[in-house]
Amino acid sequence: MKNILLEDTIVAIITPPGEGGIAALRIAGNDARSILSKHFKPQQKNRGVKPFLMRFGFFVDDSKNVIDEIMTVYMPAGKSYTGCEQVEIFCHGGRQVVRLIQDTIIGSGARMAEPGEFTKLAFLAGKIDLTKAESVAEIISANTSSSFETAREHLLGAYSEHIGMLREQLIDILAEIEASIDYPEEEIDPKDQEKLISDFDDLLGKISELKKSYKGGRIINEGFKIAIGGRPNAGKSSLFNLLLRQQRALVTPKAGTTRDYLSEWIDIDGFKVNIIDTAGLRKAGGTIEKEGQKSAKSILKSADLVLWLVDISSKGYKKQIETDLQDITNNHILKLYNKIDKSASSPEHPDTDTILISCKTEKGISQLKKEISARINATIPDLTAGVVVTSARHKQKFSNAEKMIKAARDKCLEKESPELPAFDLREALKELDEITGKVYNEDILGRIFAKFCIGK
Amino acid sequence: MNYDFDVIIIGGGHAGVEAADVSARMGKKAGLITMDASKLALMSCNPAIGGIGKSHLVKEIDALGGLMGKAIDATGIQFRRLNLSRGPAVWSTRVQADRIKYNDYVVNYIKEQHNIEVIEALAGKLLTENGSICGVLTENGDKITCRTVIICSGTFLGGLIHIGPTKIKAGRLGENAAYKLSDSLDELGFELGRLKTGTPPRLNGDTIDFDKCELQPGDTPIPYYTNDCNRPDFKQMPCYLTYTTAETKAIVSKHFNDSPIFSGQINSTGPRYCPSIEDKFYRFADKERHQLFLEPEGNGTNEIYPNGFSTALPEEIQHKAIRTVEGLEKVEITKPGYAVEYDYCPAYQIKPNLETKRVSGLFFAGQINGTSGYEEAAGQGLMAGINAVLYLEKEKPFILDRSEAYLGVMIDDLTTRSTTEPYRLFTSRAEYRLAIREDNARDRMYRYARRFNLVDEAKLDAFDKLVADTSTEIGLLKSNRIHISQLGEVGERFKRKDSISLEEYLKQPGVTVHDLIPLLGNFNGDFSDNREILERAAIDIKYAGYIEKQQREINKFKKMENESIPEQFDYTDITGLKNEAKEKFTRFRPISLGQASRIEGITPGDVAVLSIYLKKHKDTITK
Repeated sequence: MKNILLEDTIVAIITPPGEGGIAALRIAGNDARSILSKHFKPQQKNRGVKPFLMRFGFFVDDSKNVIDEIMTVYMPAGKSYTGCEQVEIFCHGGRQVVRLIQDTIIGSGARMAEPGEFTKLAFLAGKIDLTKAESVAEIISANTSSSFETAREHLLGAYSEHIGMLREQLIDILAEIEASIDYPEEEIDPKDQEKLISDFDDLLGKISELKKSYKGGRIINEGFKIAIGGRPNAGKSSLFNLLLRQQRALVTPKAGTTRDYLSEWIDIDGFKVNIIDTAGLRKAGGTIEKEGQKSAKSILKSADLVLWLVDISSKGYKKQIETDLQDITNNHILKLYNKIDKSASSPEHPDTDTILISCKTEKGISQLKKEISARINATIPDLTAGVVVTSARHKQKFSNAEKMIKAARDKCLEKESPELPAFDLREALKELDEITGKVYNEDILGRIFAKFCIGK
Repeated sequence: MNYDFDVIIIGGGHAGVEAADVSARMGKKAGLITMDASKLALMSCNPAIGGIGKSHLVKEIDALGGLMGKAIDATGIQFRRLNLSRGPAVWSTRVQADRIKYNDYVVNYIKEQHNIEVIEALAGKLLTENGSICGVLTENGDKITCRTVIICSGTFLGGLIHIGPTKIKAGRLGENAAYKLSDSLDELGFELGRLKTGTPPRLNGDTIDFDKCELQPGDTPIPYYTNDCNRPDFKQMPCYLTYTTAETKAIVSKHFNDSPIFSGQINSTGPRYCPSIEDKFYRFADKERHQLFLEPEGNGTNEIYPNGFSTALPEEIQHKAIRTVEGLEKVEITKPGYAVEYDYCPAYQIKPNLETKRVSGLFFAGQINGTSGYEEAAGQGLMAGINAVLYLEKEKPFILDRSEAYLGVMIDDLTTRSTTEPYRLFTSRAEYRLAIREDNARDRMYRYARRFNLVDEAKLDAFDKLVADTSTEIGLLKSNRIHISQLGEVGERFKRKDSISLEEYLKQPGVTVHDLIPLLGNFNGDFSDNREILERAAIDIKYAGYIEKQQREINKFKKMENESIPEQFDYTDITGLKNEAKEKFTRFRPISLGQASRIEGITPGDVAVLSIYLKKHKDTITK
């Protein structure tokens, strides 16, 4: 019996890259078990591969040479996370060993899994709903402790529950309106206008809160973006390299794209930080430079924090700052007066948005890091306070729903015929449905019958 | 006796007569089996046709050449339009019937159809051959042969009446019930379930003090269902509104346990939207009183139907309780109220053409499919009749989708969801509510009426002209402008303009065609004096933006509906599919991906898996 969703057998290392004590690999697909049988030599002969039993033994290559000591478990089709026949292998964490095992498996007919492919299979197999699928994707890319917490909370369903609650509220309002349409002769006391509008406002308030949480949520998910800018030779690359060297470098979750600027990931205070050196943009000459400047500007504009480097050993730097910063529309700019080691005298009265540093002597760098850390903490929402939207897709859905609910509210206020706000509310419901699941007409009717005594 | 027919219809209720009529008019020889030929299309409960959502069905039935609209127009005693203060999508017509005259009208109408033979008998056994229907055996042992059968058994299939502790085997008080037919269905392998419905006692109008009740007159102009009805000397009769009292609540509450609904005697589910009076006081204990409508049962009778007082309490308690209602202090009951339980076949067993999956050529319509209501029954009867004929001619089935008609919404709901209570239509069931309205039933249905030759050529042509005149009228409303000073409060919304087009005026919230009519006098005589044309144009303008948006949704929806799934498709081999989903798909057998997605309990993931499978195996799956 072939699995139609997956004709190939796929493999991937499922623990993060880098050295670690133990690493894990997952194989999924119709040949998972047979590939394992080919390369697994149980320590005790009578302890071969059996469903759901963890086995200890050796991973051997095609010539039966032992690569590593492993533990392994096999799950039959339909009873695994992906719904496919699945094998997991736990080996020692050395980079070479894991690679070698993976290559051997590929040599036996498997192919590399695409990013998120296991999760997609799990979703299609009905093992997880859409929010959960998205949370798993977030967990996979969660490189730091705080984003992991948010992702975990999503997975635990707090988020689904919260949306479920909003949906309940929406259905309540809709039932109110629908009842007045389908039962005009019944003695139902429709809520007075004021109460209805206040229900609308309560719901809208909650959605707007959620939307707001995205500002911080996005940072949790995508990382805090710092752009380093400044005139040529202000020391941008030196600072970039300095920060990279001092902090733990992270493996980028969005690897593989060719960029004409330098971008790296570091960890500051447990938060993922994406640090971008716009210097790379100006290295090319001629017409490309113009293009480069344009994209530098857009990076500086969209950054959560701009580190603007100024060479205070050059003449007229103060004037330059004024003209340069006029062009950059970003409210979060930290001016770094660099090369204080070269400058004869300290500059006068630097403001609170200015730090004096020397990339050469590393003076002021620890103060800079403290400041960056403070700024990140000021932007990140309080994760314990409530549910946070971290997905751009969800943010979009909430915005759409909000728009439709507002339209419905205004129509009720204008005493427009009720089938029209009902239309808008159903559209809004559809938006929320696309985040979690489906509302049936039956749900709305159920609410009507529970609330009103109907029966002519 | 030895008969042979193309189509046999079992049951002469609202579904049965439509099925017989349409198959006969489509050229087939129809045999209508009923226990009492004088009781065709009898209203067993409420003497009224229509209401919110249901009237949409009547309009569609009429536009498909059905019988119900004509019959009620000819015999109605009070006509009203509901929801007129709301938008045109939810305008609905409700007509009080003269119960006896309606029944007479249909009996005579059927008598005049030369292709229909009415057979007085009790159907007992269905005869099949190689999985196809081939005849019916009556309880008397007479054999009737045929190629198709439509069962419209109503509450008579295994009917059991409850009045207090008393149980009577009957589908309607004083009549018989069909038990052997249930056995026959069971033998053929159909799953049967039980449903319950109820009716109030009937009252002697001469013993009612109507002065204590609120008068509810009919509407003028009279909103007939059909467009060519004319009853010049007709005078409408009023209905009355009254209320239960604290004493009613006390008596009913004291006797909850005497009602078979609470005593455990009845286990089947009744409709939540039509609860018995004991159910109302029980479930909504904080509500002090309930409203009742006193509806005359006709011109030649003093019998009154107290709508809202359905009950299965013992007769003496019914008597005691109803006399506590305002105006009914001295009322006499002519017939007691009762609950009735009956058999139905959960509708996953039928296809969207209403033919059973199990037996070819066997169709179900009405309460056997778990519905309630005359209009729902008639709609299914009509659709089953047409489809039985198409089956005989080996033509493609006639299936309306959810974006086309309430008929489509109803049948789709029935074939994708399990019945938990008798099903009735509401406008909230229609997701494309703004597009499927009373006023445009002909726009939606006439092309099918033309295809099956169900409506006179002349009527169809006259309608084409109406459509053309409507677009002329819309043009006029767009091009003629009016000074804002003439528009009162609405005019104040326009500060920067001196004048706006009539179209723009109509689009304003709260403005309806009724506001527009008095203004038209200011213009030269270009506008049509046909009110219907003006109304149609106004609706078109009012809903234009929404319809456009809804149309986009409909297009998306149609795409999914057009992804067809073969009838005998085997779901067991789709390995990525949950077992639960496989079972659901196999049980309901959706005809399209769209329908598959609407089956209860099916997740978007299941549909994705199915869709991928269908795409991958497009070439090997025979359609």
